[in-house]
This record gives sequence, C-alpha cells and structure tokens, in this order.
Amino acid sequence: MKVPISWLREYVAYEASTAELVRRLTISTCNVQRVFRHGVADENGNLDLFRVGRVLEAGQHPNADRLQLCLVDVGEGEPRQIVCGAWNFGAGATVAVALPGAVLPGGQKLERAKLRGSVSDGMILSERELELGQDHAGILVLSEPAEPGTPLADVLPLGEEVIEVETTPNRPDLLAVYGIAREVAALFDVPLAPPPGVEPPRAADEPVDVRVEDFEGCPRYIGRTFADVTVAPSPAWLKARLAAAGMRPISNVVDVTNYVMHALGNPLHAFDRSKLAEGRIVVRRARRREEIRTLDGNLRRLDERDLVIADASQAVAIAGIMGGAETEVGEETTEVLLEAANFEPLGLLRTSERLGLRTEGSNRWEKGVDPYLAEQAAALATQLIVELSEARWTGQTDVHADLPEPPVVTLRPERANRLIGLEVLPGEQRTILERLGFDLSEEWRVTVPTWRARDVTREVDVIEEIARMKLDEVPYTLPVRREMFGRLSRAQRLRRLVEDVMVGCGFFEVYTPSLLAQDEHEQALRIPEPQSSEQSVLRTRILPALIEAARHNLAVGNTGIALFEIAHVYLPTGDELPEERWRLAAITEGGFSAAKGALETLHDALGVRPVLVRARESLYHPGKTAAVQAGVVGELEPGLLEDRWGAFELDLDTLLAVAPERPEYEDVITFPALRLDLAFVVDEDVPAGDLIDAAREAAGPELRDARVFDVYRGEQIPAGRKSVALALEFRSPARTLTDEDGARLRDAIAAALRERFSAELRA
Amino acid sequence: MNPEEPKPLDTVAAVDAAALETEALGAAAAAATVDAVQEARVRYLGRRSELKQALREVRDRETGMALNAVRERLEAAFDRRRAELERAERERDLAEEQVDVTLQGTAYRRGALHPITLIRREVEDIFVGLGYEVVDGREVETVHYIFDQLNMGPGHVTRSPLHTFYLTENTLLRTETSASQIRVMEARQPPVYMVSLGRVYRRDTPDPKRYPIFHQVEGLAVDRGITLADLKGTLQLLLRRLFGEERSVRIRTSFFPFTEPSVEADVECFICGGEGCRVCEYEGWIEVGGAGVVDENVLRNVGYDPEEYSGFAFGWGLERIFMLRYGLPDIRMLWQNDLRLLRQF
Repeated sequence: MKVPISWLREYVAYEASTAELVRRLTISTCNVQRVFRHGVADENGNLDLFRVGRVLEAGQHPNADRLQLCLVDVGEGEPRQIVCGAWNFGAGATVAVALPGAVLPGGQKLERAKLRGSVSDGMILSERELELGQDHAGILVLSEPAEPGTPLADVLPLGEEVIEVETTPNRPDLLAVYGIAREVAALFDVPLAPPPGVEPPRAADEPVDVRVEDFEGCPRYIGRTFADVTVAPSPAWLKARLAAAGMRPISNVVDVTNYVMHALGNPLHAFDRSKLAEGRIVVRRARRREEIRTLDGNLRRLDERDLVIADASQAVAIAGIMGGAETEVGEETTEVLLEAANFEPLGLLRTSERLGLRTEGSNRWEKGVDPYLAEQAAALATQLIVELSEARWTGQTDVHADLPEPPVVTLRPERANRLIGLEVLPGEQRTILERLGFDLSEEWRVTVPTWRARDVTREVDVIEEIARMKLDEVPYTLPVRREMFGRLSRAQRLRRLVEDVMVGCGFFEVYTPSLLAQDEHEQALRIPEPQSSEQSVLRTRILPALIEAARHNLAVGNTGIALFEIAHVYLPTGDELPEERWRLAAITEGGFSAAKGALETLHDALGVRPVLVRARESLYHPGKTAAVQAGVVGELEPGLLEDRWGAFELDLDTLLAVAPERPEYEDVITFPALRLDLAFVVDEDVPAGDLIDAAREAAGPELRDARVFDVYRGEQIPAGRKSVALALEFRSPARTLTDEDGARLRDAIAAALRERFSAELRA
Repeated sequence: MNPEEPKPLDTVAAVDAAALETEALGAAAAAATVDAVQEARVRYLGRRSELKQALREVRDRETGMALNAVRERLEAAFDRRRAELERAERERDLAEEQVDVTLQGTAYRRGALHPITLIRREVEDIFVGLGYEVVDGREVETVHYIFDQLNMGPGHVTRSPLHTFYLTENTLLRTETSASQIRVMEARQPPVYMVSLGRVYRRDTPDPKRYPIFHQVEGLAVDRGITLADLKGTLQLLLRRLFGEERSVRIRTSFFPFTEPSVEADVECFICGGEGCRVCEYEGWIEVGGAGVVDENVLRNVGYDPEEYSGFAFGWGLERIFMLRYGLPDIRMLWQNDLRLLRQF
C-alpha cells in the first residue's frame, strides 16, 4: 500500500518529519517498507530545470520524417531549438520542457544532443516521462495557460515523497490513506479531518433496481445511477495521485472508483448501465458452470460457491474481485451504475483462490471491510463523478441486511498493566483508546469503532491497542521463574555426543531434504501435490541423500569426503501419523573398514560393544555388510560412487537405549593386566568375531579385552585355513594374575576353540 | 709403563703434587675428544699413575690428605671436561638434524558441525541457561495441533494448500514447531518454559532467501505474571547473545492469530550499527521474527485459565540467524553440503 505524503497530509496535518512518521508508524501501526520519491527528483536544483515552454515554431526535421524541429520559448529571451518525436501539437502549444542537465524520473540525465544533424537543446516531455500517467502517444500539452519559463512544478504535481506500508491481515482499515491518517492523528495527537466526500444534490430520484439474494455474501449494496456522463481522461491532480499511489489512470469514472478505494478502503465498481439487461442488479451465487469474461479478457468458469453481480440475464461481475468486460465503462459510456457494496470475506477469499485471481479489491474484501464504510465511499465517489464527468446523479438505493452492532467489551485498566508489564495510568489508557476512535463509558465499557469490529472483540484485544501505542516504553525484564530447571534431556545430550564423536572422526555434518523423489519403502508417505517431483516422498532412510551429497562433493573436486547426518525418518504405521525416529547416517571414502572404524569409535564413546552379524541390505555390497544392534554398516555397493566407500545408518533411539546411563568405575590400576598373544589356525569361513566370543565364554570375566591383530594365510598354513592372531588382556579385580593363571586361561581358550572350530593353537 | 718397582719412601715426598696437578689440568683442558679425556685420566689417575703410586706409598697423614685432595680435584676436572665435550658433540649432532619447520605436520582428519547445528546449539544453550527445557517434536502433525489449537481460523492463509504441504486432509508437514508447545501444554499445568527447534515446511519456491524446508526455534513461557515486558527482555537477551552485547533491540506491532498482543522483533543492524546499509535495506534494523503474548484462546484450548496464567511465545528461523551473522548470501548453500563451505565453520 503506497501512501503519497501530500495525500496523507490532506487528512491529517502532522508536523513531524517523514523519518519520524516512519518510525512511529513502524512501531505502533504497520511496517513501512520503504520511502521513495515518485516523479521528478528534488535535489541539486533539478526542479528548476523543468519549465513551462511555449512552442513558437514547429516543423519537419530536415533529415528525419518522424521528427519535428521546434523553437520553444522557455522564458530565457532566446528560444531553444528542441527536436521532438511527437506530432500532437503545433506552434502555440504550451508544453512541459526539461533543460539539459535535468534528471528525469527514471534517473536518466538529459544532455544537449545532436539528433540527425540538428541540435536539441532540451526535451519536450510526455506524461509518462514525468510519471504523471501512462500516456506516451504524444507529449503533454498543458491546457491551463502559463507564462513560458514558469517552473513546471508550479503548474503540475511533479514529484513527491511516498511511503509504502505493509499491513497485517487484521487491519483492512489501513489499506486506505484515510485509515493511515487516523493512526497518524492518534500517534501525534493532532486533529483528523472528517472523512472525505460531500454528497452533491441529487438531480433526480429515479428507482434503482437492486436485488440481493444472498445477504450472507453481500450484507450491503448501495447502487447509484448517473446520467449524461462524459468519460474522459482525469485531470492532472487525480492522475498524479493515482500514479504516485501505484495505480494506472484510465478514465475519470474508473479513476474515481480506484481513488475512493485508495482513499477510504472500500472497493467500488462502475458499470455501463445501458449494458445491464433491464438495468437491473442481482447479487446471487453463480450458476453451475456459469461463465464470465472478466475485464482482463479471460473467460472464467464459476460454480455455485461463487458470488456474482448479475443483471437480469447473466453475471456481470465476480463480486468484489473483478468486473465483467461486457459492462465495462468505456469512452462511449453515458450512463453509469456505481456499486458501493460490502462483501463477506471468507467466501470471497475462496473464490479468489479457486480462480487464482487476486486484485486490489479482493485483497481488501478478504480481510473484512467495514460495512458502514460503503456510505462514505458512495458519497466521495458521487461527488467526484459529478465534478469530473459533468454527470447528473439520478438515483440511489441502499439494500442491506441488519448490519452488525459494534462489539462492547469491559476493560480493566489494571489488567492491561499486568499483561503489558508497564504502568499506564487509567487516564492515559482512556485517551489512547479515544484517539483511536474507541468510545468509553465511565465504567470502562469500551465500544469498538466499526472499522475495527472484526479484530477487536475481547478485552485483550483492547489491551493490545494500548500496548502498541506504548511499545517503546515497555521495559526489558525477565520472567521471575519458579520451580524450573533447564537442561538438555539425556537423548539430546547423547545426540550432541554422537555429533561430536563423528566430527572427531573426521566427518562433516550435512543437512539434506526430508523429501525425496522416491523411497524404496512402498508405503512411504507421499505428498499428494508436491512442489516438485524431486521432493515428493517422506524418506524412510537417510543414506540415499548422503550418497547424493557425496556425489556433489566428488563432482566439484573435493577430497577427504566423509559425511554424516542426524535427522528424522518417517516410517509408515498404517495410522495417519508416521512413526518419526532419529537416525544417524554416515558415508566415507575408504570402504568397509573406514565405516566400521567410525562405527566402533562411536559405540566405544557410548559404552556399547557393537555386535556385528553378516547381513544384506540394498545400496550395500552383498559380501561386505553387517547388521549391528541399531542398524547396518557396510561397504557401499560398487558403482554407486567412484572407488570404495563405507557407510552406516543407525537408529539413534535404539542405540541410546542400549547405552549405559553412566560408566561404572572399576579399579584397573591396583592389579596389573596379564597380556597374551595367541594365534589359531582355523578354516577360512570361521569369522574372527566368533573366535573372540568363544574365547570370552571359555575364559570368563578375567578376559577383559580381546582383539584380532593379524590374519595370515600362506606358508606353513594349509590351504583353506587361516591363522588368526588374538591379543588378549586378562585382569582380576582381586589379585595380580600369575604365569600359572596365564597358562590355565590359555589352555581353557585353546580347548574351547579346538572343540568348537577345530582351531589349532600355533606355537 | 714402568714395571712396578719398590721405591724408597723419600720418593713420595719427591712427588711435586702441585706440578703434577697443573700438568694434569692442562692435559684435561687440552683433550679435544671424549677418548682423549679418558686417556689423560688413565695417565694421571690410573692404577699405575704417579699419583696413585704415591698414594699407595705415602705414610704420613698430612701428605696423604694433600694428595687425596689433588686426586679429587682432578677427577672432577676430567668429569667436567668430559661432560663439556659430550654436550658439544650432542649439539653438533642435533644441529645436523634440522627440519623445515614450515612443512605441514602429520594430517589428522577433522570434521565439522553444520552451520544450522552450530546455531541450534547456541540457542539451546542460551535457553537452557535461562532455565528452559528443549523439546523435540514430530514433523508430521495433524490440523488440530498445527492450526486449530493455535487459534488459526479457517481463513488463515497458511491453512491454504497453496502454502502448506498436506499429506491428507487432516495431516501435514508442520509449518512451525509450535505444535510441540501445544502437546507439552496439553500434558501438564504451568509453569512451562520451553524451546522447540527443528525442521518446518512451507511451500516456497527456492530462492536466495527461501527454501521449502527450514529450521525454526520457537520459545514459550507460561506462568503466573508473565508480561509483554518479559518477552521484550528475553528477546533482547537472546539477540544480544547472538549478535553482540551492545546491540539495541526493539519490538513493533504485528499480527498473529496465536498471540495478542503480537509483535515483531528487530535487532539494530550489526553491519552498519543502525546507520543504514544494504543488509538492513537502509532501515538500520533487521527483522528477526515474530513474537507476542500467548492468545487467551490458545491457553483456553489447552485447559489453562487465562485469568491465572499468561505467557509469551516467539518463533524465528535458524538459517536466517546464521545468514545474517556470517553474511551468507544464499540459503540454498546450506543444503548443498559442499565441504568447501562446511570446512569454514
């Protein structure tokens, strides 16, 4: 919403600078997105270079068919020669001239130039070049006589400051210059002018045929008729205001409807009354598959949910959203029916969504416009139509249901203070509310103004009105907490530990999308209408996205790639909500052992001994994959990425459930450990892990640590067999183990392994 | 060496102890190598040396003591010389072992946390310090928890499938993390001090500022006597921790269905200090996110009495905080996972 400052000042004569205005509005009313100058810049004497000129001579350029060579008096005694491409004027015309050095609204700086061999010592301007309108077919010929050399700014609104505000959906009243003015008056405690629009006398009292069949959708419809309308371009002031407010001037009647909407916030529509069948207006729901060609030229199909304005035979407008092309006001129009209505927001929003059609009008209606506003909007529009198009106002009707009474709520001033945390004296609370248009009784019964009736319905809403006017003064305090103790949960702390261990192992954390193009789980949850096919299914695994991330890093030439992610997966349950579980997934250069090493370090950090069993899983190498308590570890299936990669994916909730709450202290210092290295020859297919498990079983609790330090095949080992060397560490909590203990334990292990695996102990 | 011969007693006295000492000290000083020191030691202090011989033969106590003192001094002198030479030798050897100290050392792999995690932890720690708990929530939620309980009426814009990812008519990807606040409040009575952080989903076309998946932190405090001023103070504390202790913080009016009064929080631009620059779009302030006093309807919806309890809530994007602080130009970079970016943090 663009608010030209001069327009705003017409309703409220505040004294503050624009910077202060912006600051106060931003804190208490609505965000001001930007302040800009519309039209000709007023810097470094730029305005002085725009003058009124009188054309003394105009004729064909000697070297160019399409150009005119003019002599223009700009009040300097000596006329200037100016080359011009327009032909809509001749000698004697009063025109707008920019002199060399002038900066045009687009930022372009004018230079003295030679065009086709002739010097052009300035420029004769069009409306569009001055940002006063759209007309660029010819130059701007001034109708009012003015002396050559008069500053152009004296006869035309050449430029002005505009603020652009961003309003919240609860404040449709701010989508109007008058609404902003009302806030400004309250903020600076200055008087607000009465709302614009004084009805002229009515020339006749002809009946206006308006029937509202759906008061729910259209609680109010004011119809006014005008005769002897002369449709013509709007005067310069109106064009300039609309242009500064970001709207395109079209014709006086249409411009008036837009002007009133921008001034007061009530969208209007004007029909060419002679094109309405039987001159009648019917407000009703559309018929099934009813069609209408809207002003933008599109044919639109409606259904029974859409509210339309119809004549005796067909829809002539989509209510509040856009008028129909057939009844549009055009140059030949002489009879006008003006609509100043009120429409219900939600149904209108749905229609606008269904049609994908949003307009300045729908933007206001969908937020809920004050039904009492229609009258004032009709008055202002009537005044301007009569003034600008020389029309006669010939008839009027106001069809409405019972209009809602404004809400009345009781305010407890002490409650306001309690909620805001600032002492605002009751008298000041009262003043603030009254300035905003609220009416207060002695007993603090607050009557809400009609333009706020949708938004302010409860005591707390009234409190917000006081709060927003005092936001700058609200102190910075902290809650006085009771009975609260902040800490991360165990799961959260362990997740951080997992992250840190992975980083310590050289892995980089990544974030990948939860949505994939596809997931191998057949019941994986699907977005019925995804934004892109790349992100349409909720993943049940993280690894595929990590493979993608690794691929990206390879493609850009990165090395040392090791990635991990902790995120949710979404497992279908058959119920409407999936089971969401925390997963850790990792991928690294270097094959099975690289992944397993990181997995072991991670388990070690959590105090969990990983138990691996050969397994198969998609995306993994069939011979180099294992299941572990909480998931899978393995080498990535060859061909997915260049070279060998290792990966794992673990269910964190499962992993954390098996991790001990806290480590248990044991005395490993007092009695030193006894270490033995034993090598066994076994068949090729015996897993080393099984040997260790059997050794643990045979040796009992005194075997504290066992690991494989060598696997050997070759000389001295029969074919089909291998030698597995184990480093064993024994300790007793009660005494130092002796050599005899060592021999006993060695014999027990050797016997067990011989029996289970035909293992031979090598000397 | 001379064969050992018995010598008459008077020869002992004939040994000129002083001259011998001078000679031996000279030999020690002249020895250029450890071996030469050893040779000289044998010559002057060895079993067959003149001094040893004289000591063996001496009879009177006074002479014996004098000779012993000479011996001790010589022992010390030879030791000293030997140590001196050894030290010099070692220094010579080490000097030859120089390395190029500018060469890089043995490489250890170092990973890194993702920027979003870094900010997440920072925010979590601030609130844990303030006595809040951190609550994880689910990402697929029902309309009840996302919209109904949060006082978002049927016309609210984010309810539209144009803005939100629905899975079914009743389930959707959460558009903010507040659903977990509702679940906590439904489960227990105040006081509640919590933050929830995690992924949220909105139907935005990816561009430098938006990605359809992003991360939010949402905070909630409900207790007796919570005020708008408490919100203002909490936001100031958080923003100063994140953007610098000297920053100004302001709040300005806004609108959300789930808060009343509603505000937006701004932090003074930390690039230009409020003067106006590109980052703050020449406003001097940077918008960080929405907040407000919890709407009475939300409290009532979870069974809290708004006459007894009040609360505040706020919700911000973690990516935005990170991008502002480090000047990252494009949110999509956070989803590319390029090591060249990740290594920097």
